[in-house]
Amino acid sequence: MFSLDLLTDAVVAGILLGGFYAAVSLGITLAFGLLDIVNIAHPAFVILGAYGAYVGNSRLGLDPIVAGLLGMPVFFLLGMVVYRVYYASFEKRGDESLRGLVFFFGIIFIIEVSLLLQYGVDYRSVDAAYLGATLELGPITLPFRLAIPFAVALGLTLLLHLFLSRTFWGRAVKAVSQDHLALRLMGASPVRVKALAFAIAIATASVAGALLIMIGPIEPSVGREYIGRVFAIAVLGGMGSIGGTLAASLILGVLESLTSTFYGPSWALAVSFGILLVVLAVRPAGLFGR
Amino acid sequence: MVRDVEAGYGAVRVLHGVSMEVNEGETVALLGTNGNGKSTLLKCIMGIVRPDAGEIVLEEDGRRTSLVGRSPEEIVGLGIALVPEGRRLFPKLTVEENLLLGAYRREARAEIAGNLRFCLDAFPVLGERRRQLAGSLSGGEQQMLALARAVMSSPRILLVDEPSVGLAPILVSRVIAKIRELKESHHLTVLMAEQNFNQATKIADRGYIIVHGQIEFEGHSTRELAEHELVKKYYLGV
Repeated sequence: MFSLDLLTDAVVAGILLGGFYAAVSLGITLAFGLLDIVNIAHPAFVILGAYGAYVGNSRLGLDPIVAGLLGMPVFFLLGMVVYRVYYASFEKRGDESLRGLVFFFGIIFIIEVSLLLQYGVDYRSVDAAYLGATLELGPITLPFRLAIPFAVALGLTLLLHLFLSRTFWGRAVKAVSQDHLALRLMGASPVRVKALAFAIAIATASVAGALLIMIGPIEPSVGREYIGRVFAIAVLGGMGSIGGTLAASLILGVLESLTSTFYGPSWALAVSFGILLVVLAVRPAGLFGR
Repeated sequence: MVRDVEAGYGAVRVLHGVSMEVNEGETVALLGTNGNGKSTLLKCIMGIVRPDAGEIVLEEDGRRTSLVGRSPEEIVGLGIALVPEGRRLFPKLTVEENLLLGAYRREARAEIAGNLRFCLDAFPVLGERRRQLAGSLSGGEQQMLALARAVMSSPRILLVDEPSVGLAPILVSRVIAKIRELKESHHLTVLMAEQNFNQATKIADRGYIIVHGQIEFEGHSTRELAEHELVKKYYLGV
Protein backbone atom coordinates (compact mmCIF):
# COMPACT_ATOMS: atom_id res chain seq x y z
CA MET A 1 0.00 0.00 0.00
CA PHE A 2 2.87 2.39 0.70
CA SER A 3 4.93 3.51 -2.27
CA LEU A 4 7.22 6.39 -3.06
CA ASP A 5 5.00 7.56 -5.91
CA LEU A 6 2.02 7.67 -3.67
CA LEU A 7 4.00 9.64 -1.09
CA THR A 8 5.24 12.15 -3.69
CA ASP A 9 1.75 12.63 -5.07
CA ALA A 10 0.32 13.09 -1.60
CA VAL A 11 2.96 15.67 -0.64
CA VAL A 12 2.53 17.62 -3.89
CA ALA A 13 -1.25 17.57 -3.59
CA GLY A 14 -0.87 18.67 0.03
CA ILE A 15 1.32 21.63 -0.85
CA LEU A 16 -1.08 22.74 -3.56
CA LEU A 17 -4.05 22.30 -1.24
CA GLY A 18 -2.15 24.19 1.47
CA GLY A 19 -1.72 27.17 -0.83
CA PHE A 20 -5.44 27.26 -1.33
CA TYR A 21 -6.01 27.04 2.44
CA ALA A 22 -3.77 30.10 2.76
CA ALA A 23 -6.03 32.05 0.39
CA VAL A 24 -9.06 31.16 2.50
CA SER A 25 -7.27 31.88 5.78
CA LEU A 26 -5.73 35.26 4.93
CA GLY A 27 -9.00 37.02 5.62
CA ILE A 28 -9.24 35.36 9.04
CA THR A 29 -5.65 36.21 9.84
CA LEU A 30 -6.42 39.84 9.09
CA ALA A 31 -9.77 40.06 10.86
CA PHE A 32 -9.20 37.71 13.77
CA GLY A 33 -5.42 37.91 14.15
CA LEU A 34 -4.90 41.63 13.63
CA LEU A 35 -8.25 43.32 14.25
CA ASP A 36 -9.67 41.09 17.00
CA ILE A 37 -12.84 40.62 14.95
CA VAL A 38 -14.07 37.05 15.27
CA ASN A 39 -15.41 36.82 11.74
CA ILE A 40 -16.64 33.24 11.68
CA ALA A 41 -18.60 34.18 8.57
CA HIS A 42 -15.43 34.42 6.50
CA PRO A 43 -15.85 30.98 4.90
CA ALA A 44 -19.42 31.98 4.02
CA PHE A 45 -18.05 35.03 2.22
CA VAL A 46 -15.68 32.67 0.42
CA ILE A 47 -18.70 30.63 -0.74
CA LEU A 48 -20.36 33.84 -1.85
CA GLY A 49 -17.19 34.59 -3.82
CA ALA A 50 -17.37 31.11 -5.33
CA TYR A 51 -20.91 31.74 -6.53
CA GLY A 52 -19.76 35.08 -7.89
CA ALA A 53 -17.14 33.24 -9.94
CA TYR A 54 -19.78 30.71 -10.96
CA VAL A 55 -22.11 33.43 -12.23
CA GLY A 56 -19.27 35.26 -13.98
CA ASN A 57 -18.18 32.03 -15.60
CA SER A 58 -21.51 30.49 -16.58
CA ARG A 59 -23.43 33.64 -17.54
CA LEU A 60 -20.73 35.97 -18.80
CA GLY A 61 -18.18 33.42 -19.92
CA LEU A 62 -15.42 34.92 -17.81
CA ASP A 63 -12.41 33.01 -16.61
CA PRO A 64 -13.15 32.12 -12.95
CA ILE A 65 -10.02 33.90 -11.70
CA VAL A 66 -10.87 37.02 -13.65
CA ALA A 67 -14.38 36.84 -12.20
CA GLY A 68 -12.87 36.51 -8.71
CA LEU A 69 -10.64 39.53 -9.26
CA LEU A 70 -13.52 41.58 -10.65
CA GLY A 71 -15.54 40.67 -7.58
CA MET A 72 -12.91 42.15 -5.26
CA PRO A 73 -14.09 45.79 -5.36
CA VAL A 74 -17.67 44.67 -4.68
CA PHE A 75 -16.52 42.51 -1.77
CA PHE A 76 -14.34 45.36 -0.54
CA LEU A 77 -17.39 47.62 -0.31
CA LEU A 78 -19.42 44.83 1.26
CA GLY A 79 -16.70 44.38 3.90
CA MET A 80 -16.68 48.08 4.62
CA VAL A 81 -20.44 48.11 5.15
CA VAL A 82 -20.33 44.99 7.35
CA TYR A 83 -17.59 46.52 9.51
CA ARG A 84 -19.44 49.83 9.88
CA VAL A 85 -22.56 47.98 11.03
CA TYR A 86 -20.50 45.79 13.36
CA TYR A 87 -18.70 48.83 14.74
CA ALA A 88 -21.80 50.94 15.31
CA SER A 89 -23.82 48.07 16.80
CA PHE A 90 -21.24 46.25 18.92
CA GLU A 91 -17.63 47.40 18.98
CA LYS A 92 -18.39 51.01 19.84
CA ARG A 93 -20.32 49.87 22.90
CA GLY A 94 -17.73 47.34 23.89
CA ASP A 95 -20.00 44.29 23.66
CA GLU A 96 -18.55 42.76 20.54
CA SER A 97 -17.25 39.55 22.06
CA LEU A 98 -20.47 37.56 22.32
CA ARG A 99 -22.96 39.61 20.34
CA GLY A 100 -20.43 40.10 17.58
CA LEU A 101 -20.18 36.35 17.30
CA VAL A 102 -23.95 36.08 16.99
CA PHE A 103 -23.88 38.84 14.37
CA PHE A 104 -21.46 36.86 12.23
CA PHE A 105 -23.49 33.69 12.75
CA GLY A 106 -26.42 35.64 11.40
CA ILE A 107 -24.40 36.62 8.35
CA ILE A 108 -23.52 32.97 7.73
CA PHE A 109 -27.21 32.09 7.64
CA ILE A 110 -28.16 35.06 5.50
CA ILE A 111 -25.52 34.15 2.92
CA GLU A 112 -26.33 30.44 2.97
CA VAL A 113 -30.08 30.86 2.76
CA SER A 114 -29.84 33.49 0.03
CA LEU A 115 -27.63 31.22 -2.05
CA LEU A 116 -29.95 28.27 -1.40
CA LEU A 117 -33.00 30.22 -2.53
CA GLN A 118 -31.24 31.47 -5.60
CA TYR A 119 -29.25 28.44 -6.70
CA GLY A 120 -30.63 25.48 -4.75
CA VAL A 121 -28.65 22.65 -3.22
CA ASP A 122 -27.15 21.34 -6.45
CA TYR A 123 -23.40 21.30 -6.75
CA ARG A 124 -22.11 24.00 -9.08
CA SER A 125 -18.80 24.21 -10.86
CA VAL A 126 -16.91 26.36 -13.34
CA ASP A 127 -15.40 25.64 -16.73
CA ALA A 128 -12.11 26.75 -18.16
CA ALA A 129 -10.07 25.09 -20.87
CA TYR A 130 -7.02 24.59 -18.67
CA LEU A 131 -8.84 23.01 -15.72
CA GLY A 132 -8.49 19.45 -16.98
CA ALA A 133 -4.86 19.81 -18.03
CA THR A 134 -1.82 18.67 -16.11
CA LEU A 135 1.82 19.60 -16.10
CA GLU A 136 4.38 16.79 -15.91
CA LEU A 137 7.60 17.74 -14.15
CA GLY A 138 9.66 14.56 -14.08
CA PRO A 139 8.04 12.28 -11.51
CA ILE A 140 5.67 15.02 -10.34
CA THR A 141 2.25 15.53 -11.86
CA LEU A 142 0.71 18.96 -11.36
CA PRO A 143 -2.98 19.18 -12.13
CA PHE A 144 -3.80 22.73 -13.27
CA ARG A 145 -7.01 22.53 -11.29
CA LEU A 146 -4.83 22.70 -8.14
CA ALA A 147 -1.67 24.39 -9.44
CA ILE A 148 -3.33 27.57 -10.65
CA PRO A 149 -5.20 28.21 -7.40
CA PHE A 150 -1.90 27.59 -5.62
CA ALA A 151 -0.10 30.21 -7.73
CA VAL A 152 -2.90 32.74 -7.31
CA ALA A 153 -2.96 32.11 -3.55
CA LEU A 154 0.78 32.72 -3.31
CA GLY A 155 0.38 35.95 -5.26
CA LEU A 156 -2.42 37.09 -2.95
CA THR A 157 -0.35 36.22 0.13
CA LEU A 158 2.62 38.16 -1.20
CA LEU A 159 0.50 41.22 -1.99
CA LEU A 160 -1.01 41.21 1.47
CA HIS A 161 2.40 40.80 3.04
CA LEU A 162 3.75 43.78 1.07
CA PHE A 163 0.71 45.84 2.02
CA LEU A 164 1.20 45.13 5.73
CA SER A 165 4.95 45.60 5.83
CA ARG A 166 5.53 48.42 3.34
CA THR A 167 2.63 50.84 3.59
CA PHE A 168 1.56 53.31 6.24
CA TRP A 169 -1.93 51.85 6.25
CA GLY A 170 -0.52 48.35 6.57
CA ARG A 171 1.61 49.22 9.58
CA ALA A 172 -1.38 50.94 11.16
CA VAL A 173 -3.39 47.74 10.63
CA LYS A 174 -0.75 45.78 12.52
CA ALA A 175 -0.75 48.34 15.33
CA VAL A 176 -4.47 48.91 15.76
CA SER A 177 -5.30 46.11 18.18
CA GLN A 178 -2.16 46.68 20.24
CA ASP A 179 -3.02 50.21 21.36
CA HIS A 180 -5.71 52.13 19.56
CA LEU A 181 -5.20 55.31 21.56
CA ALA A 182 -1.51 55.33 20.68
CA LEU A 183 -2.52 54.90 17.05
CA ARG A 184 -4.71 57.97 17.30
CA LEU A 185 -1.71 59.85 18.68
CA MET A 186 0.07 58.91 15.44
CA GLY A 187 -2.73 60.66 13.56
CA ALA A 188 -4.53 57.54 12.33
CA SER A 189 -8.20 56.86 13.00
CA PRO A 190 -8.57 53.30 14.37
CA VAL A 191 -12.10 52.95 12.97
CA ARG A 192 -11.00 53.88 9.46
CA VAL A 193 -7.96 51.63 9.68
CA LYS A 194 -10.09 48.71 10.81
CA ALA A 195 -12.75 49.36 8.17
CA LEU A 196 -10.09 49.31 5.47
CA ALA A 197 -8.44 46.15 6.79
CA PHE A 198 -11.74 44.34 7.19
CA ALA A 199 -12.76 45.38 3.68
CA ILE A 200 -9.50 43.96 2.34
CA ALA A 201 -10.09 40.75 4.32
CA ILE A 202 -13.51 40.33 2.71
CA ALA A 203 -12.10 41.23 -0.71
CA THR A 204 -9.69 38.29 -0.46
CA ALA A 205 -12.76 36.04 -0.07
CA SER A 206 -13.83 36.86 -3.61
CA VAL A 207 -10.60 35.43 -5.03
CA ALA A 208 -10.48 32.57 -2.53
CA GLY A 209 -14.01 31.64 -3.58
CA ALA A 210 -13.01 31.53 -7.23
CA LEU A 211 -10.15 29.21 -6.28
CA LEU A 212 -12.50 27.02 -4.23
CA ILE A 213 -14.91 26.44 -7.10
CA MET A 214 -12.01 25.73 -9.49
CA ILE A 215 -10.77 22.97 -7.21
CA GLY A 216 -14.11 21.26 -6.90
CA PRO A 217 -17.87 21.73 -7.18
CA ILE A 218 -19.61 23.51 -4.34
CA GLU A 219 -23.02 23.97 -2.76
CA PRO A 220 -24.09 26.74 -0.34
CA SER A 221 -23.15 25.05 2.94
CA VAL A 222 -19.65 23.75 2.18
CA GLY A 223 -18.22 26.81 3.92
CA ARG A 224 -18.94 25.18 7.26
CA GLU A 225 -16.25 22.60 6.60
CA TYR A 226 -13.72 25.38 6.53
CA ILE A 227 -14.65 27.34 9.66
CA GLY A 228 -12.66 25.16 12.04
CA ARG A 229 -9.80 24.68 9.65
CA VAL A 230 -9.19 28.36 8.89
CA PHE A 231 -9.26 29.30 12.55
CA ALA A 232 -6.83 26.46 13.25
CA ILE A 233 -4.53 27.89 10.58
CA ALA A 234 -4.79 31.45 11.89
CA VAL A 235 -3.92 30.33 15.42
CA LEU A 236 -1.23 27.94 14.26
CA GLY A 237 0.32 30.64 12.11
CA GLY A 238 0.64 32.94 15.09
CA MET A 239 -2.38 35.25 14.92
CA GLY A 240 -1.78 37.96 12.42
CA SER A 241 1.40 36.77 10.78
CA ILE A 242 0.99 36.47 7.00
CA GLY A 243 4.11 34.33 6.57
CA GLY A 244 2.95 32.19 9.48
CA THR A 245 -0.45 31.72 7.86
CA LEU A 246 1.14 30.50 4.65
CA ALA A 247 3.47 28.14 6.51
CA ALA A 248 0.68 26.79 8.70
CA SER A 249 -1.54 26.31 5.63
CA LEU A 250 1.15 24.34 3.83
CA ILE A 251 1.89 22.20 6.90
CA LEU A 252 -1.78 21.46 7.39
CA GLY A 253 -2.32 20.81 3.68
CA VAL A 254 0.51 18.29 3.51
CA LEU A 255 -0.46 16.54 6.73
CA GLU A 256 -4.10 16.29 5.70
CA SER A 257 -3.14 15.01 2.30
CA LEU A 258 -0.85 12.37 3.79
CA THR A 259 -3.56 11.36 6.24
CA SER A 260 -6.19 11.07 3.50
CA THR A 261 -3.88 9.05 1.32
CA PHE A 262 -2.68 6.62 3.95
CA TYR A 263 -5.47 6.46 6.54
CA GLY A 264 -8.58 7.77 4.82
CA PRO A 265 -10.10 11.20 4.20
CA SER A 266 -12.30 11.12 7.27
CA TRP A 267 -9.21 11.45 9.46
CA ALA A 268 -7.96 14.60 7.73
CA LEU A 269 -9.80 17.14 9.84
CA ALA A 270 -8.97 15.26 13.03
CA VAL A 271 -5.31 15.72 12.21
CA SER A 272 -5.78 19.50 11.79
CA PHE A 273 -7.33 19.84 15.19
CA GLY A 274 -4.92 17.37 16.77
CA ILE A 275 -2.04 19.57 15.65
CA LEU A 276 -3.81 22.68 16.83
CA LEU A 277 -4.20 21.18 20.32
CA VAL A 278 -0.57 20.12 20.49
CA VAL A 279 0.67 23.51 19.30
CA LEU A 280 -1.56 25.38 21.73
CA ALA A 281 -0.23 23.24 24.56
CA VAL A 282 3.44 23.59 23.61
CA ARG A 283 3.56 27.03 22.00
CA PRO A 284 0.45 29.07 22.79
CA ALA A 285 1.58 31.99 20.60
CA GLY A 286 1.40 29.74 17.53
CA LEU A 287 4.25 28.42 15.44
CA PHE A 288 5.26 31.82 14.13
CA GLY A 289 3.77 34.17 16.70
CA ARG A 290 5.71 37.11 18.03
CA MET B 1 -2.96 78.72 24.96
CA VAL B 2 -5.34 77.22 27.45
CA ARG B 3 -8.01 79.26 29.18
CA ASP B 4 -10.37 78.36 32.03
CA VAL B 5 -10.37 74.69 31.21
CA GLU B 6 -12.50 72.44 33.34
CA ALA B 7 -12.55 68.72 32.80
CA GLY B 8 -13.01 65.41 34.52
CA TYR B 9 -14.03 61.82 34.18
CA GLY B 10 -17.70 61.10 34.85
CA ALA B 11 -18.64 62.81 38.09
CA VAL B 12 -15.05 63.38 39.15
CA ARG B 13 -13.80 66.87 38.40
CA VAL B 14 -10.08 66.98 37.80
CA LEU B 15 -9.40 70.42 36.35
CA HIS B 16 -11.01 73.51 37.87
CA GLY B 17 -10.44 76.43 35.54
CA VAL B 18 -6.89 75.99 34.38
CA SER B 19 -5.34 78.78 32.32
CA MET B 20 -1.87 78.75 30.89
CA GLU B 21 0.09 79.82 27.89
CA VAL B 22 3.06 78.42 26.02
CA ASN B 23 4.80 80.71 23.56
CA GLU B 24 6.52 79.64 20.41
CA GLY B 25 9.98 78.26 21.01
CA GLU B 26 9.61 77.96 24.77
CA THR B 27 10.08 74.97 27.00
CA VAL B 28 7.49 75.12 29.73
CA ALA B 29 7.30 72.75 32.67
CA LEU B 30 3.99 71.74 34.16
CA LEU B 31 4.86 70.68 37.66
CA GLY B 32 2.74 68.78 40.09
CA THR B 33 2.66 65.58 42.05
CA ASN B 34 0.51 62.61 41.09
CA GLY B 35 -3.21 63.15 40.76
CA ASN B 36 -3.21 66.92 40.36
CA GLY B 37 -4.33 66.97 36.75
CA LYS B 38 -1.15 67.25 34.68
CA SER B 39 -1.96 64.31 32.43
CA THR B 40 -5.60 65.31 32.17
CA LEU B 41 -4.61 68.75 30.93
CA LEU B 42 -2.34 67.24 28.27
CA LYS B 43 -5.13 64.86 27.29
CA CYS B 44 -7.50 67.81 26.92
CA ILE B 45 -5.04 69.54 24.63
CA MET B 46 -4.70 66.37 22.51
CA GLY B 47 -8.46 65.84 22.28
CA ILE B 48 -8.38 62.58 24.23
CA VAL B 49 -10.44 64.09 27.06
CA ARG B 50 -13.06 66.62 26.11
CA PRO B 51 -13.14 69.62 28.45
CA ASP B 52 -16.49 70.54 29.97
CA ALA B 53 -15.69 74.22 29.73
CA GLY B 54 -12.97 76.56 28.63
CA GLU B 55 -10.93 77.16 25.53
CA ILE B 56 -7.84 75.57 24.08
CA VAL B 57 -6.47 77.57 21.20
CA LEU B 58 -3.54 77.15 18.86
CA GLU B 59 -2.31 80.49 17.54
CA GLU B 60 -0.08 80.39 14.54
CA ASP B 61 0.87 83.18 12.16
CA GLY B 62 -2.10 85.16 13.41
CA ARG B 63 -4.52 82.26 12.81
CA ARG B 64 -6.47 80.96 15.77
CA THR B 65 -7.53 77.33 15.76
CA SER B 66 -9.71 76.02 18.55
CA LEU B 67 -8.70 72.53 19.61
CA VAL B 68 -11.77 71.76 21.72
CA GLY B 69 -14.02 69.22 19.99
CA ARG B 70 -11.35 68.04 17.60
CA SER B 71 -10.24 64.42 17.50
CA PRO B 72 -6.69 63.43 18.47
CA GLU B 73 -6.06 62.56 14.81
CA GLU B 74 -6.92 66.09 13.71
CA ILE B 75 -4.81 67.62 16.46
CA VAL B 76 -1.82 65.50 15.48
CA GLY B 77 -2.44 66.75 11.95
CA LEU B 78 -2.03 70.33 13.22
CA GLY B 79 1.53 69.56 14.26
CA ILE B 80 1.09 68.73 17.92
CA ALA B 81 2.58 65.49 19.21
CA LEU B 82 2.21 63.86 22.60
CA VAL B 83 4.67 61.49 24.20
CA PRO B 84 2.12 59.81 26.43
CA GLU B 85 2.42 58.70 29.99
CA GLY B 86 3.58 55.10 30.07
CA ARG B 87 5.07 55.56 26.57
CA ARG B 88 2.41 53.49 24.82
CA LEU B 89 4.60 51.93 22.19
CA PHE B 90 3.37 49.14 19.94
CA PRO B 91 5.15 46.30 21.76
CA LYS B 92 4.73 43.67 19.06
CA LEU B 93 6.06 45.86 16.28
CA THR B 94 9.73 46.47 15.65
CA VAL B 95 11.52 49.65 16.64
CA GLU B 96 11.58 50.72 13.02
CA GLU B 97 7.87 50.02 12.52
CA ASN B 98 7.10 52.11 15.59
CA LEU B 99 9.14 54.98 14.18
CA LEU B 100 7.53 54.75 10.75
CA LEU B 101 4.08 54.79 12.33
CA GLY B 102 5.08 58.06 13.95
CA ALA B 103 5.31 59.52 10.46
CA TYR B 104 1.73 58.61 9.60
CA ARG B 105 0.42 62.14 9.21
CA ARG B 106 0.65 63.51 5.70
CA GLU B 107 3.10 66.35 6.35
CA ALA B 108 5.44 63.92 8.08
CA ARG B 109 5.49 61.38 5.23
CA ALA B 110 7.26 63.87 2.99
CA GLU B 111 10.03 64.27 5.53
CA ILE B 112 10.25 60.66 6.54
CA ALA B 113 13.74 59.87 5.25
CA GLY B 114 15.34 62.88 6.91
CA ASN B 115 13.47 62.37 10.17
CA LEU B 116 14.36 58.69 10.31
CA ARG B 117 18.03 59.41 9.71
CA PHE B 118 17.90 62.10 12.36
CA CYS B 119 16.27 59.80 14.93
CA LEU B 120 18.71 56.99 14.34
CA ASP B 121 21.61 59.45 14.71
CA ALA B 122 20.18 61.11 17.79
CA PHE B 123 19.32 57.76 19.38
CA PRO B 124 22.08 55.34 18.32
CA VAL B 125 20.61 52.61 20.49
CA LEU B 126 17.47 52.61 18.35
CA GLY B 127 19.57 52.10 15.25
CA GLU B 128 21.22 49.09 16.82
CA ARG B 129 17.86 47.64 17.79
CA ARG B 130 15.97 48.59 14.64
CA ARG B 131 14.63 45.11 13.97
CA GLN B 132 13.87 44.22 17.59
CA LEU B 133 10.37 44.30 18.98
CA ALA B 134 9.67 47.47 20.92
CA GLY B 135 8.38 45.38 23.83
CA SER B 136 11.84 43.87 24.30
CA LEU B 137 13.55 47.22 24.96
CA SER B 138 14.53 48.41 28.42
CA GLY B 139 12.56 51.21 30.07
CA GLY B 140 15.06 53.89 29.11
CA GLU B 141 15.24 52.68 25.53
CA GLN B 142 11.45 52.63 25.35
CA GLN B 143 11.27 56.23 26.52
CA MET B 144 13.82 57.19 23.86
CA LEU B 145 11.75 55.37 21.25
CA ALA B 146 8.57 57.12 22.40
CA LEU B 147 10.32 60.48 22.02
CA ALA B 148 11.77 59.58 18.64
CA ARG B 149 8.39 58.31 17.44
CA ALA B 150 6.81 61.66 18.35
CA VAL B 151 9.57 63.54 16.52
CA MET B 152 8.89 61.40 13.43
CA SER B 153 5.57 63.22 13.05
CA SER B 154 7.46 66.49 12.37
CA PRO B 155 5.64 68.32 15.14
CA ARG B 156 5.99 71.99 15.97
CA ILE B 157 4.67 71.49 19.46
CA LEU B 158 5.80 68.57 21.58
CA LEU B 159 3.88 67.58 24.70
CA VAL B 160 5.71 65.21 27.01
CA ASP B 161 3.93 63.48 29.86
CA GLU B 162 6.14 62.39 32.74
CA PRO B 163 9.22 61.22 30.85
CA SER B 164 10.96 60.33 34.11
CA VAL B 165 8.47 57.75 35.37
CA GLY B 166 9.98 54.36 36.03
CA LEU B 167 13.49 55.31 35.00
CA ALA B 168 16.72 55.25 36.98
CA PRO B 169 18.05 58.77 37.78
CA ILE B 170 20.91 58.53 35.28
CA LEU B 171 18.44 57.64 32.52
CA VAL B 172 16.13 60.49 33.50
CA SER B 173 19.01 62.92 32.99
CA ARG B 174 19.67 61.44 29.59
CA VAL B 175 16.04 61.60 28.51
CA ILE B 176 15.73 65.19 29.69
CA ALA B 177 18.91 66.13 27.84
CA LYS B 178 17.52 64.50 24.70
CA ILE B 179 14.33 66.53 24.94
CA ARG B 180 16.40 69.70 24.96
CA GLU B 181 18.48 68.43 22.05
CA LEU B 182 15.37 67.66 20.01
CA LYS B 183 13.82 70.96 20.86
CA GLU B 184 16.85 72.84 19.60
CA SER B 185 17.41 70.83 16.45
CA HIS B 186 13.74 70.86 15.42
CA HIS B 187 12.82 74.34 16.75
CA LEU B 188 10.08 72.81 18.86
CA THR B 189 7.83 74.34 21.42
CA VAL B 190 7.77 71.99 24.41
CA LEU B 191 5.28 71.53 27.22
CA MET B 192 6.48 68.93 29.68
CA ALA B 193 4.48 67.56 32.59
CA GLU B 194 6.80 66.33 35.29
CA GLN B 195 6.96 65.69 38.98
CA ASN B 196 10.72 65.54 39.06
CA PHE B 197 11.31 69.21 39.73
CA ASN B 198 15.10 69.21 39.54
CA GLN B 199 15.19 67.45 36.22
CA ALA B 200 12.39 69.46 34.63
CA THR B 201 13.87 72.81 35.55
CA LYS B 202 17.18 71.85 33.93
CA ILE B 203 15.67 72.49 30.53
CA ALA B 204 12.56 74.56 31.21
CA ASP B 205 12.45 78.29 30.55
CA ARG B 206 9.65 78.71 33.02
CA GLY B 207 6.83 76.71 34.55
CA TYR B 208 3.49 76.31 36.23
CA ILE B 209 2.68 74.47 39.40
CA ILE B 210 -0.63 72.66 39.34
CA VAL B 211 -2.29 71.60 42.59
CA HIS B 212 -5.69 69.90 42.80
CA GLY B 213 -6.57 70.90 39.27
CA GLN B 214 -5.71 74.56 39.60
CA ILE B 215 -2.65 76.54 38.63
CA GLU B 216 -1.26 77.55 42.01
CA PHE B 217 1.77 79.41 40.80
CA GLU B 218 3.26 80.68 37.60
CA GLY B 219 7.04 80.99 37.66
CA HIS B 220 8.48 83.26 35.00
CA SER B 221 11.89 81.69 35.43
CA THR B 222 13.18 78.49 36.91
CA ARG B 223 14.66 80.57 39.70
CA GLU B 224 11.27 81.94 40.67
CA LEU B 225 9.99 78.38 40.70
CA ALA B 226 12.78 77.10 42.88
CA GLU B 227 12.20 79.84 45.40
CA HIS B 228 8.49 79.27 45.70
CA GLU B 229 7.30 77.77 48.94
CA LEU B 230 5.21 75.06 47.28
CA VAL B 231 8.27 73.77 45.51
CA LYS B 232 10.27 73.89 48.70
CA LYS B 233 7.53 72.02 50.50
CA TYR B 234 6.79 69.32 47.91
CA TYR B 235 9.89 68.86 45.89
CA LEU B 236 12.99 70.00 47.60
CA GLY B 237 12.09 68.72 51.02
CA VAL B 238 13.22 71.96 52.64
